[in-house]
Amino acid sequence: MNIHVKTALDYIKRSPFQALAALFVLTLTFFVGTMLAVLVYSSANLLKYFETRPQIIAFLKDEITPEQVSALQNRLTGDVRVKDVRYVSKEEALEIYKQATSDNPLLSELVSPTIFPASLEFSVADLSFAQEVINEVKKEGIVDSVGFTASLGGEKTLEDVVGRLRTLTLYLRIGGGVFVGVLAGTSLLVILVITGMRITTRRGEIEILDLIGATPAFIRSPIILEALIYSAVGAFVGWLLAFLIWLYATPSLISYFGDIPILPKEALNLFGLFAIILVGELLLGVGLALSGSYLAVSRARRSR
Amino acid sequence: MVKFAHVSKSFGEIKALVDVSFEVKKGEFVFITGPSGAGKTTILKLILREILPDTGRVVFDGEDIVGLSQEKVPYLRQKIGVVFQDYKVLPERTVRENVEVPLAVTGVSPDEWEARVNQVLKLVGLDERSELFPAQLSGGELQRVSLARALVINPKLIMADEPTGNLDWETGDAIMELFEKINKEGKTVIMATHNKHVVERLKKRVIELKDGKLVGQTRVKSEEKPKIKVKVEEV
Repeated sequence: MNIHVKTALDYIKRSPFQALAALFVLTLTFFVGTMLAVLVYSSANLLKYFETRPQIIAFLKDEITPEQVSALQNRLTGDVRVKDVRYVSKEEALEIYKQATSDNPLLSELVSPTIFPASLEFSVADLSFAQEVINEVKKEGIVDSVGFTASLGGEKTLEDVVGRLRTLTLYLRIGGGVFVGVLAGTSLLVILVITGMRITTRRGEIEILDLIGATPAFIRSPIILEALIYSAVGAFVGWLLAFLIWLYATPSLISYFGDIPILPKEALNLFGLFAIILVGELLLGVGLALSGSYLAVSRARRSR
Repeated sequence: MVKFAHVSKSFGEIKALVDVSFEVKKGEFVFITGPSGAGKTTILKLILREILPDTGRVVFDGEDIVGLSQEKVPYLRQKIGVVFQDYKVLPERTVRENVEVPLAVTGVSPDEWEARVNQVLKLVGLDERSELFPAQLSGGELQRVSLARALVINPKLIMADEPTGNLDWETGDAIMELFEKINKEGKTVIMATHNKHVVERLKKRVIELKDGKLVGQTRVKSEEKPKIKVKVEEV
Protein backbone atom coordinates (compact mmCIF):
# COMPACT_ATOMS: atom_id res chain seq x y z
CA MET A 1 0.00 0.00 0.00
CA ASN A 2 1.22 3.51 -0.79
CA ILE A 3 2.90 5.07 2.25
CA HIS A 4 0.67 8.19 2.11
CA VAL A 5 -2.54 6.15 1.94
CA LYS A 6 -1.32 3.98 4.81
CA THR A 7 -0.44 7.05 6.87
CA ALA A 8 -3.81 8.66 6.14
CA LEU A 9 -5.65 5.46 7.15
CA ASP A 10 -3.52 5.26 10.32
CA TYR A 11 -4.51 8.85 11.17
CA ILE A 12 -8.18 7.92 10.75
CA LYS A 13 -7.86 4.73 12.84
CA ARG A 14 -6.08 6.58 15.64
CA SER A 15 -8.76 9.29 15.89
CA PRO A 16 -12.02 7.43 15.28
CA PHE A 17 -14.30 10.07 16.81
CA GLN A 18 -12.84 12.88 14.72
CA ALA A 19 -13.26 10.68 11.67
CA LEU A 20 -16.88 9.88 12.57
CA ALA A 21 -17.71 13.56 13.14
CA ALA A 22 -16.28 14.46 9.74
CA LEU A 23 -18.07 11.58 8.03
CA PHE A 24 -21.45 12.41 9.62
CA VAL A 25 -21.30 16.06 8.60
CA LEU A 26 -20.17 15.26 5.07
CA THR A 27 -22.73 12.46 4.70
CA LEU A 28 -25.50 14.83 5.83
CA THR A 29 -24.33 17.50 3.38
CA PHE A 30 -24.29 15.15 0.43
CA PHE A 31 -27.54 13.42 1.47
CA VAL A 32 -29.36 16.75 1.52
CA GLY A 33 -27.51 17.76 -1.65
CA THR A 34 -28.72 14.64 -3.49
CA MET A 35 -32.30 15.03 -2.26
CA LEU A 36 -32.38 18.67 -3.35
CA ALA A 37 -30.71 17.95 -6.69
CA VAL A 38 -33.46 15.44 -7.52
CA LEU A 39 -36.17 17.82 -6.28
CA VAL A 40 -34.79 20.60 -8.47
CA TYR A 41 -34.66 18.18 -11.43
CA SER A 42 -38.26 17.08 -10.81
CA SER A 43 -39.60 20.60 -10.36
CA ALA A 44 -37.83 21.71 -13.54
CA ASN A 45 -39.44 18.81 -15.40
CA LEU A 46 -42.82 19.63 -13.91
CA LEU A 47 -42.46 23.24 -15.03
CA LYS A 48 -41.33 22.18 -18.48
CA TYR A 49 -44.29 19.81 -18.76
CA PHE A 50 -46.80 22.54 -18.05
CA GLU A 51 -44.98 25.05 -20.19
CA THR A 52 -45.05 22.75 -23.20
CA ARG A 53 -48.64 21.55 -22.96
CA PRO A 54 -50.81 22.47 -26.02
CA GLN A 55 -51.96 25.75 -24.67
CA ILE A 56 -53.65 27.47 -27.58
CA ILE A 57 -56.49 26.16 -29.76
CA ALA A 58 -57.38 28.05 -32.91
CA PHE A 59 -60.96 27.00 -33.84
CA LEU A 60 -61.37 27.09 -37.59
CA LYS A 61 -64.38 28.24 -39.62
CA ASP A 62 -66.53 25.54 -41.24
CA GLU A 63 -66.16 26.66 -44.86
CA ILE A 64 -62.36 26.51 -45.09
CA THR A 65 -60.40 24.34 -47.55
CA PRO A 66 -57.64 21.87 -46.61
CA GLU A 67 -55.13 24.07 -48.49
CA GLN A 68 -55.97 27.03 -46.27
CA VAL A 69 -55.54 24.88 -43.15
CA SER A 70 -52.28 23.52 -44.45
CA ALA A 71 -50.98 27.01 -45.22
CA LEU A 72 -51.75 28.27 -41.69
CA GLN A 73 -50.31 25.10 -40.14
CA ASN A 74 -47.08 25.55 -42.14
CA ARG A 75 -46.85 29.18 -41.14
CA LEU A 76 -47.26 28.33 -37.48
CA THR A 77 -44.77 25.45 -37.71
CA GLY A 78 -42.22 27.84 -39.18
CA ASP A 79 -42.71 30.33 -36.33
CA VAL A 80 -39.95 29.96 -33.72
CA ARG A 81 -42.30 31.09 -30.95
CA VAL A 82 -44.67 28.22 -31.69
CA LYS A 83 -44.21 24.50 -30.94
CA ASP A 84 -46.00 21.21 -31.53
CA VAL A 85 -48.61 22.34 -34.04
CA ARG A 86 -51.34 19.73 -34.53
CA TYR A 87 -54.47 19.70 -36.69
CA VAL A 88 -57.58 18.29 -35.00
CA SER A 89 -60.38 17.43 -37.43
CA LYS A 90 -64.11 17.56 -36.59
CA GLU A 91 -64.11 13.76 -36.16
CA GLU A 92 -61.15 13.86 -33.80
CA ALA A 93 -62.82 16.64 -31.86
CA LEU A 94 -65.87 14.43 -31.43
CA GLU A 95 -63.67 11.58 -30.19
CA ILE A 96 -62.07 13.89 -27.64
CA TYR A 97 -65.53 14.98 -26.54
CA LYS A 98 -66.69 11.37 -26.26
CA GLN A 99 -63.70 10.48 -24.13
CA ALA A 100 -64.27 13.48 -21.94
CA THR A 101 -67.92 12.52 -21.43
CA SER A 102 -67.44 8.76 -21.30
CA ASP A 103 -69.08 8.62 -17.87
CA ASN A 104 -72.29 9.95 -19.44
CA PRO A 105 -72.83 8.22 -22.87
CA LEU A 106 -76.11 10.09 -23.38
CA LEU A 107 -74.25 13.34 -23.91
CA SER A 108 -72.15 11.90 -26.74
CA GLU A 109 -75.12 10.27 -28.42
CA LEU A 110 -76.76 13.65 -28.87
CA VAL A 111 -73.93 15.17 -30.88
CA SER A 112 -72.49 14.71 -34.38
CA PRO A 113 -69.10 15.72 -35.77
CA THR A 114 -70.61 18.61 -37.63
CA ILE A 115 -71.19 20.62 -34.48
CA PHE A 116 -67.52 20.51 -33.50
CA PRO A 117 -65.15 22.87 -35.27
CA ALA A 118 -61.82 21.62 -36.65
CA SER A 119 -58.91 23.27 -34.90
CA LEU A 120 -55.17 23.83 -34.82
CA GLU A 121 -53.65 23.11 -31.40
CA PHE A 122 -50.23 24.37 -30.50
CA SER A 123 -48.10 25.55 -27.62
CA VAL A 124 -45.67 28.43 -27.32
CA ALA A 125 -41.97 28.12 -26.61
CA ASP A 126 -42.35 30.60 -23.78
CA LEU A 127 -45.57 31.74 -22.18
CA SER A 128 -44.58 35.37 -22.63
CA PHE A 129 -45.23 34.92 -26.37
CA ALA A 130 -48.75 33.64 -25.79
CA GLN A 131 -50.68 36.90 -25.99
CA GLU A 132 -49.03 38.20 -29.15
CA VAL A 133 -49.36 34.83 -30.93
CA ILE A 134 -53.04 34.64 -29.97
CA ASN A 135 -53.61 38.16 -31.31
CA GLU A 136 -51.88 37.31 -34.59
CA VAL A 137 -53.80 34.04 -35.05
CA LYS A 138 -57.11 35.77 -34.32
CA LYS A 139 -56.51 38.01 -37.35
CA GLU A 140 -56.30 35.00 -39.67
CA GLY A 141 -59.34 34.85 -41.96
CA ILE A 142 -59.93 31.12 -41.47
CA VAL A 143 -59.86 31.34 -37.68
CA ASP A 144 -63.18 31.68 -35.95
CA SER A 145 -61.95 32.04 -32.39
CA VAL A 146 -58.94 31.26 -30.21
CA GLY A 147 -59.07 29.41 -26.90
CA PHE A 148 -56.60 29.10 -24.08
CA THR A 149 -56.74 25.57 -22.59
CA ALA A 150 -55.70 26.62 -19.11
CA SER A 151 -59.18 27.81 -18.37
CA LEU A 152 -60.19 24.14 -18.25
CA GLY A 153 -58.25 23.65 -14.98
CA GLY A 154 -58.98 24.99 -11.55
CA GLU A 155 -56.60 27.89 -12.13
CA LYS A 156 -57.69 31.02 -13.91
CA THR A 157 -55.12 30.64 -16.65
CA LEU A 158 -52.26 28.35 -17.45
CA GLU A 159 -49.98 31.30 -16.93
CA ASP A 160 -51.04 31.30 -13.28
CA VAL A 161 -50.18 27.61 -12.92
CA VAL A 162 -46.82 28.05 -14.60
CA GLY A 163 -46.19 31.23 -12.64
CA ARG A 164 -46.78 29.40 -9.37
CA LEU A 165 -44.59 26.53 -10.47
CA ARG A 166 -41.87 28.95 -11.47
CA THR A 167 -42.00 30.63 -8.08
CA LEU A 168 -41.94 27.24 -6.35
CA THR A 169 -38.97 26.10 -8.44
CA LEU A 170 -37.16 29.37 -7.78
CA TYR A 171 -37.73 29.08 -4.03
CA LEU A 172 -36.60 25.47 -4.12
CA ARG A 173 -33.45 26.40 -6.00
CA ILE A 174 -32.60 29.41 -3.84
CA GLY A 175 -33.64 27.84 -0.52
CA GLY A 176 -32.05 24.51 -1.37
CA GLY A 177 -28.91 26.21 -2.65
CA VAL A 178 -28.57 28.27 0.52
CA PHE A 179 -29.17 25.21 2.72
CA VAL A 180 -26.66 23.09 0.81
CA GLY A 181 -24.28 26.08 0.84
CA VAL A 182 -24.52 26.32 4.64
CA LEU A 183 -23.95 22.58 4.98
CA ALA A 184 -21.02 22.68 2.56
CA GLY A 185 -19.57 25.60 4.55
CA THR A 186 -19.94 23.58 7.75
CA SER A 187 -18.25 20.61 6.08
CA LEU A 188 -15.42 22.85 4.94
CA LEU A 189 -14.97 24.15 8.49
CA VAL A 190 -15.01 20.61 9.90
CA ILE A 191 -12.33 19.52 7.42
CA LEU A 192 -10.34 22.65 8.23
CA VAL A 193 -10.57 22.03 11.99
CA ILE A 194 -9.71 18.33 11.71
CA THR A 195 -6.79 19.01 9.38
CA GLY A 196 -5.59 21.77 11.71
CA MET A 197 -5.81 19.43 14.69
CA ARG A 198 -3.99 16.76 12.74
CA ILE A 199 -1.17 19.18 11.94
CA THR A 200 -0.93 20.24 15.59
CA THR A 201 -0.86 16.69 16.93
CA ARG A 202 1.63 15.62 14.25
CA ARG A 203 3.92 18.63 14.66
CA GLY A 204 6.76 16.43 15.93
CA GLU A 205 6.38 14.03 13.03
CA ILE A 206 6.25 16.92 10.55
CA GLU A 207 9.43 18.36 12.05
CA ILE A 208 11.24 15.02 11.71
CA LEU A 209 10.07 14.57 8.12
CA ASP A 210 11.21 18.09 7.36
CA LEU A 211 14.68 17.36 8.79
CA ILE A 212 15.14 14.18 6.80
CA GLY A 213 14.40 15.99 3.55
CA ALA A 214 10.68 15.47 2.96
CA THR A 215 9.24 18.01 0.55
CA PRO A 216 6.20 20.05 1.68
CA ALA A 217 4.12 18.02 -0.79
CA PHE A 218 5.27 14.77 0.82
CA ILE A 219 4.46 16.08 4.30
CA ARG A 220 0.98 17.30 3.45
CA SER A 221 0.01 14.37 1.20
CA PRO A 222 -1.38 12.09 3.96
CA ILE A 223 -3.18 15.02 5.59
CA ILE A 224 -4.85 15.98 2.32
CA LEU A 225 -5.55 12.34 1.51
CA GLU A 226 -7.30 11.96 4.86
CA ALA A 227 -9.58 14.90 4.00
CA LEU A 228 -10.19 13.38 0.55
CA ILE A 229 -11.16 10.05 2.12
CA TYR A 230 -13.69 11.79 4.42
CA SER A 231 -15.16 13.70 1.48
CA ALA A 232 -15.30 10.74 -0.89
CA VAL A 233 -16.85 8.40 1.70
CA GLY A 234 -19.23 11.15 2.91
CA ALA A 235 -20.31 11.95 -0.65
CA PHE A 236 -20.85 8.30 -1.52
CA VAL A 237 -22.75 7.36 1.66
CA GLY A 238 -24.90 10.53 1.53
CA TRP A 239 -25.66 9.90 -2.14
CA LEU A 240 -26.38 6.19 -1.53
CA LEU A 241 -28.88 6.91 1.25
CA ALA A 242 -30.71 9.48 -0.87
CA PHE A 243 -30.57 7.16 -3.90
CA LEU A 244 -32.16 4.30 -1.95
CA ILE A 245 -34.95 6.58 -0.69
CA TRP A 246 -35.67 7.88 -4.21
CA LEU A 247 -35.46 4.38 -5.62
CA TYR A 248 -38.04 3.23 -3.08
CA ALA A 249 -40.33 6.19 -3.76
CA THR A 250 -39.96 6.35 -7.57
CA PRO A 251 -42.67 3.79 -8.54
CA SER A 252 -45.25 5.53 -6.32
CA LEU A 253 -44.23 8.98 -7.56
CA ILE A 254 -44.36 7.95 -11.22
CA SER A 255 -47.76 6.37 -10.74
CA TYR A 256 -49.05 9.43 -8.82
CA PHE A 257 -47.88 11.98 -11.37
CA GLY A 258 -48.97 9.88 -14.37
CA ASP A 259 -47.89 11.52 -17.61
CA ILE A 260 -45.85 14.21 -15.89
CA PRO A 261 -42.24 13.04 -16.16
CA ILE A 262 -40.96 14.25 -12.78
CA LEU A 263 -38.44 11.37 -12.75
CA PRO A 264 -37.12 9.25 -15.62
CA LYS A 265 -39.36 6.24 -16.16
CA GLU A 266 -36.63 4.10 -17.71
CA ALA A 267 -34.40 2.48 -15.07
CA LEU A 268 -31.29 3.23 -17.13
CA ASN A 269 -32.15 6.93 -17.34
CA LEU A 270 -32.89 7.05 -13.61
CA PHE A 271 -29.50 5.47 -12.84
CA GLY A 272 -27.91 7.88 -15.32
CA LEU A 273 -29.43 10.84 -13.46
CA PHE A 274 -28.09 9.57 -10.13
CA ALA A 275 -24.71 8.76 -11.65
CA ILE A 276 -24.41 12.38 -12.83
CA ILE A 277 -25.34 13.59 -9.34
CA LEU A 278 -22.75 11.23 -7.79
CA VAL A 279 -19.99 12.46 -10.10
CA GLY A 280 -20.91 16.06 -9.34
CA GLU A 281 -20.91 15.42 -5.60
CA LEU A 282 -17.60 13.57 -5.71
CA LEU A 283 -16.09 16.53 -7.54
CA LEU A 284 -17.59 18.91 -4.97
CA GLY A 285 -16.23 16.65 -2.22
CA VAL A 286 -12.75 16.75 -3.74
CA GLY A 287 -13.03 20.53 -3.95
CA LEU A 288 -14.10 20.76 -0.30
CA ALA A 289 -11.32 18.43 0.87
CA LEU A 290 -8.62 20.16 -1.13
CA SER A 291 -9.66 23.69 -0.18
CA GLY A 292 -10.18 22.79 3.51
CA SER A 293 -6.90 20.95 3.91
CA TYR A 294 -4.89 23.48 1.87
CA LEU A 295 -6.30 26.31 3.99
CA ALA A 296 -5.34 24.47 7.19
CA VAL A 297 -1.86 23.58 5.89
CA SER A 298 -1.19 27.16 4.76
CA ARG A 299 -2.34 28.50 8.14
CA ALA A 300 -0.02 26.06 9.91
CA ARG A 301 2.89 27.06 7.66
CA ARG A 302 2.26 30.76 8.29
CA SER A 303 2.23 30.19 12.06
CA ARG A 304 5.54 28.24 11.98
CA MET B 1 32.62 17.83 1.16
CA VAL B 2 31.82 20.59 3.69
CA LYS B 3 33.44 24.00 3.90
CA PHE B 4 32.76 26.86 6.30
CA ALA B 5 34.29 30.19 5.27
CA HIS B 6 34.21 33.00 7.84
CA VAL B 7 30.80 31.99 9.12
CA SER B 8 29.18 34.00 11.89
CA LYS B 9 25.76 33.50 13.43
CA SER B 10 24.03 35.32 16.26
CA PHE B 11 20.76 34.68 18.01
CA GLY B 12 19.88 38.15 19.29
CA GLU B 13 22.67 39.17 21.63
CA ILE B 14 24.12 35.68 21.76
CA LYS B 15 26.98 35.02 19.36
CA ALA B 16 26.65 31.36 18.45
CA LEU B 17 29.47 31.36 15.87
CA VAL B 18 32.15 33.96 15.25
CA ASP B 19 34.12 33.92 12.00
CA VAL B 20 34.40 30.13 11.84
CA SER B 21 36.28 28.54 8.94
CA PHE B 22 37.08 24.88 8.43
CA GLU B 23 36.84 22.17 5.82
CA VAL B 24 35.84 18.52 5.98
CA LYS B 25 37.05 16.34 3.16
CA LYS B 26 35.24 13.40 1.60
CA GLY B 27 35.64 10.23 3.68
CA GLU B 28 36.80 12.06 6.80
CA PHE B 29 35.54 11.50 10.32
CA VAL B 30 35.49 14.78 12.19
CA PHE B 31 34.45 15.54 15.75
CA ILE B 32 33.13 18.98 16.64
CA THR B 33 33.72 19.41 20.32
CA GLY B 34 33.33 22.08 22.93
CA PRO B 35 31.30 22.84 26.01
CA SER B 36 27.55 23.41 25.91
CA GLY B 37 26.72 26.59 24.02
CA ALA B 38 30.01 26.51 22.09
CA GLY B 39 28.18 26.39 18.73
CA LYS B 40 28.41 22.68 17.84
CA THR B 41 24.72 22.24 17.08
CA THR B 42 24.65 25.57 15.22
CA ILE B 43 27.24 24.17 12.79
CA LEU B 44 25.10 21.09 12.16
CA LYS B 45 21.98 23.24 11.72
CA LEU B 46 23.81 25.42 9.21
CA ILE B 47 24.88 22.40 7.17
CA LEU B 48 21.30 21.13 7.25
CA ARG B 49 20.05 24.62 6.24
CA GLU B 50 17.80 24.77 9.29
CA ILE B 51 19.24 28.24 9.86
CA LEU B 52 21.16 30.74 7.75
CA PRO B 53 24.45 32.39 8.74
CA ASP B 54 24.62 36.14 9.29
CA THR B 55 27.85 36.27 7.30
CA GLY B 56 30.12 33.81 5.52
CA ARG B 57 29.70 30.87 3.19
CA VAL B 58 28.68 27.28 3.86
CA VAL B 59 29.55 24.94 1.03
CA PHE B 60 28.25 21.37 0.82
CA ASP B 61 29.23 19.03 -1.98
CA GLY B 62 30.58 21.95 -4.01
CA GLU B 63 27.46 24.09 -3.68
CA ASP B 64 27.02 27.22 -1.58
CA ILE B 65 23.95 26.29 0.41
CA VAL B 66 23.42 29.75 1.90
CA GLY B 67 21.93 30.95 -1.36
CA LEU B 68 19.93 27.78 -1.90
CA SER B 69 16.22 28.42 -2.54
CA GLN B 70 13.76 27.08 0.05
CA GLU B 71 12.34 24.66 -2.54
CA LYS B 72 15.75 23.01 -2.91
CA VAL B 73 16.40 22.58 0.81
CA PRO B 74 14.62 19.18 1.05
CA TYR B 75 16.86 17.84 -1.74
CA LEU B 76 19.96 19.05 0.15
CA ARG B 77 18.74 17.26 3.28
CA GLN B 78 18.12 14.08 1.29
CA LYS B 79 21.89 13.89 0.74
CA ILE B 80 22.61 14.04 4.45
CA GLY B 81 21.86 11.38 7.05
CA VAL B 82 21.30 12.85 10.49
CA VAL B 83 21.44 11.10 13.86
CA PHE B 84 19.93 13.13 16.67
CA GLN B 85 20.65 13.06 20.38
CA ASP B 86 16.92 12.62 21.09
CA TYR B 87 16.67 10.02 18.26
CA LYS B 88 13.69 11.73 16.59
CA VAL B 89 12.10 8.48 15.55
CA LEU B 90 8.44 8.40 14.54
CA PRO B 91 6.69 6.94 17.61
CA GLU B 92 3.70 5.47 15.81
CA ARG B 93 5.70 3.58 13.24
CA THR B 94 7.59 0.32 13.64
CA VAL B 95 11.38 0.15 13.36
CA ARG B 96 11.03 -1.02 9.76
CA GLU B 97 8.58 1.74 8.88
CA ASN B 98 10.86 4.35 10.46
CA VAL B 99 13.70 3.21 8.25
CA GLU B 100 11.44 3.04 5.20
CA VAL B 101 10.35 6.68 5.52
CA PRO B 102 13.57 8.22 4.08
CA LEU B 103 13.32 5.80 1.15
CA ALA B 104 9.81 7.08 0.45
CA VAL B 105 10.99 10.66 0.90
CA THR B 106 13.81 10.23 -1.61
CA GLY B 107 11.56 8.42 -4.06
CA VAL B 108 13.27 5.03 -3.98
CA SER B 109 11.11 2.36 -5.62
CA PRO B 110 9.18 0.32 -2.99
CA ASP B 111 10.54 -2.85 -4.63
CA GLU B 112 13.97 -1.97 -3.25
CA TRP B 113 12.84 -1.10 0.26
CA GLU B 114 12.89 -4.53 1.84
CA ALA B 115 16.42 -5.41 0.78
CA ARG B 116 17.84 -2.02 1.73
CA VAL B 117 16.06 -1.87 5.08
CA ASN B 118 17.13 -5.42 5.92
CA GLN B 119 20.72 -4.53 5.07
CA VAL B 120 20.92 -1.49 7.36
CA LEU B 121 18.95 -3.13 10.15
CA LYS B 122 21.44 -5.99 10.07
CA LEU B 123 24.31 -3.50 10.12
CA VAL B 124 22.99 -1.77 13.24
CA GLY B 125 21.91 -5.06 14.82
CA LEU B 126 18.17 -4.49 14.78
CA ASP B 127 17.15 -7.10 12.23
CA GLU B 128 15.40 -9.11 14.94
CA ARG B 129 13.43 -6.10 16.17
CA SER B 130 12.17 -4.64 12.95
CA GLU B 131 8.46 -5.03 13.78
CA LEU B 132 8.67 -3.43 17.23
CA PHE B 133 7.50 0.09 17.98
CA PRO B 134 9.87 2.73 19.44
CA ALA B 135 8.14 2.49 22.83
CA GLN B 136 9.31 -1.12 23.02
CA LEU B 137 12.99 -0.26 22.45
CA SER B 138 15.83 0.85 24.74
CA GLY B 139 17.73 4.14 24.29
CA GLY B 140 20.60 2.42 22.53
CA GLU B 141 18.22 0.63 20.19
CA LEU B 142 16.42 3.87 19.41
CA GLN B 143 19.74 5.46 18.53
CA ARG B 144 20.43 2.52 16.21
CA VAL B 145 17.06 3.11 14.53
CA SER B 146 18.06 6.73 14.06
CA LEU B 147 21.39 5.61 12.57
CA ALA B 148 19.73 3.03 10.32
CA ARG B 149 17.34 5.71 9.09
CA ALA B 150 20.28 7.99 8.32
CA LEU B 151 22.17 5.25 6.49
CA VAL B 152 19.41 3.69 4.43
CA ILE B 153 19.43 6.43 1.79
CA ASN B 154 23.18 5.98 1.32
CA PRO B 155 23.88 9.66 2.08
CA LYS B 156 27.00 11.57 1.11
CA LEU B 157 27.41 12.79 4.67
CA ILE B 158 26.39 11.45 8.07
CA MET B 159 25.94 14.04 10.80
CA ALA B 160 25.39 13.15 14.41
CA ASP B 161 24.47 15.51 17.20
CA GLU B 162 25.55 14.08 20.57
CA PRO B 163 24.59 10.55 19.51
CA THR B 164 25.78 9.06 22.78
CA GLY B 165 24.41 11.87 24.96
CA ASN B 166 21.50 9.83 26.30
CA LEU B 167 23.25 6.47 26.42
CA ASP B 168 25.30 4.62 29.01
CA TRP B 169 28.98 4.30 28.12
CA GLU B 170 28.77 0.70 27.01
CA THR B 171 25.90 1.35 24.60
CA GLY B 172 27.59 4.58 23.54
CA ASP B 173 30.74 2.64 22.65
CA ALA B 174 28.74 0.19 20.58
CA ILE B 175 27.14 3.08 18.67
CA MET B 176 30.55 4.69 18.13
CA GLU B 177 31.89 1.43 16.76
CA LEU B 178 29.07 1.53 14.23
CA PHE B 179 30.00 5.06 13.19
CA GLU B 180 33.63 4.01 12.81
CA LYS B 181 32.60 1.06 10.70
CA ILE B 182 30.48 3.28 8.49
CA ASN B 183 33.35 5.75 8.10
CA LYS B 184 35.71 2.94 7.12
CA GLU B 185 33.28 2.05 4.35
CA GLY B 186 33.90 5.51 2.91
CA LYS B 187 31.18 7.69 4.42
CA THR B 188 32.01 11.20 5.62
CA VAL B 189 31.01 11.64 9.27
CA ILE B 190 30.67 14.87 11.25
CA MET B 191 29.85 14.34 14.89
CA ALA B 192 29.11 17.00 17.49
CA THR B 193 29.95 15.80 20.98
CA HIS B 194 31.34 16.92 24.28
CA ASN B 195 32.10 13.36 25.31
CA LYS B 196 35.90 13.33 25.67
CA HIS B 197 35.94 9.58 26.18
CA VAL B 198 34.42 9.07 22.75
CA VAL B 199 36.77 11.56 21.08
CA GLU B 200 39.87 10.06 22.63
CA ARG B 201 38.86 6.51 21.91
CA LEU B 202 38.28 7.00 18.18
CA LYS B 203 41.27 9.25 17.59
CA LYS B 204 39.87 11.26 14.71
CA ARG B 205 40.24 14.87 13.67
CA VAL B 206 38.70 17.29 16.17
CA ILE B 207 37.34 20.78 15.57
CA GLU B 208 37.21 22.53 18.91
CA LEU B 209 34.85 25.39 19.63
CA LYS B 210 34.51 27.73 22.57
CA ASP B 211 31.99 30.58 22.86
CA GLY B 212 31.28 30.28 19.15
CA LYS B 213 34.92 30.61 18.16
CA LEU B 214 37.06 27.95 16.59
CA VAL B 215 39.84 27.59 19.09
CA GLY B 216 41.76 24.83 17.40
CA GLN B 217 41.78 21.77 15.21
CA THR B 218 43.44 18.70 16.64
CA ARG B 219 44.65 15.88 14.47
CA VAL B 220 44.89 12.64 16.40
CA LYS B 221 47.15 9.97 15.05
CA SER B 222 46.10 6.39 15.38
CA GLU B 223 46.62 4.84 18.84
CA GLU B 224 47.75 8.18 20.31
CA LYS B 225 46.12 10.71 22.53
CA PRO B 226 45.49 14.17 21.02
CA LYS B 227 48.79 15.91 20.64
CA ILE B 228 49.05 18.10 17.58
CA LYS B 229 47.19 21.33 18.00
CA VAL B 230 46.87 23.63 14.99
CA LYS B 231 46.08 27.26 15.62
CA VAL B 232 43.04 28.76 13.97
CA GLU B 233 45.15 31.19 11.95
CA GLU B 234 46.92 28.30 10.25
CA VAL B 235 43.75 26.73 8.84
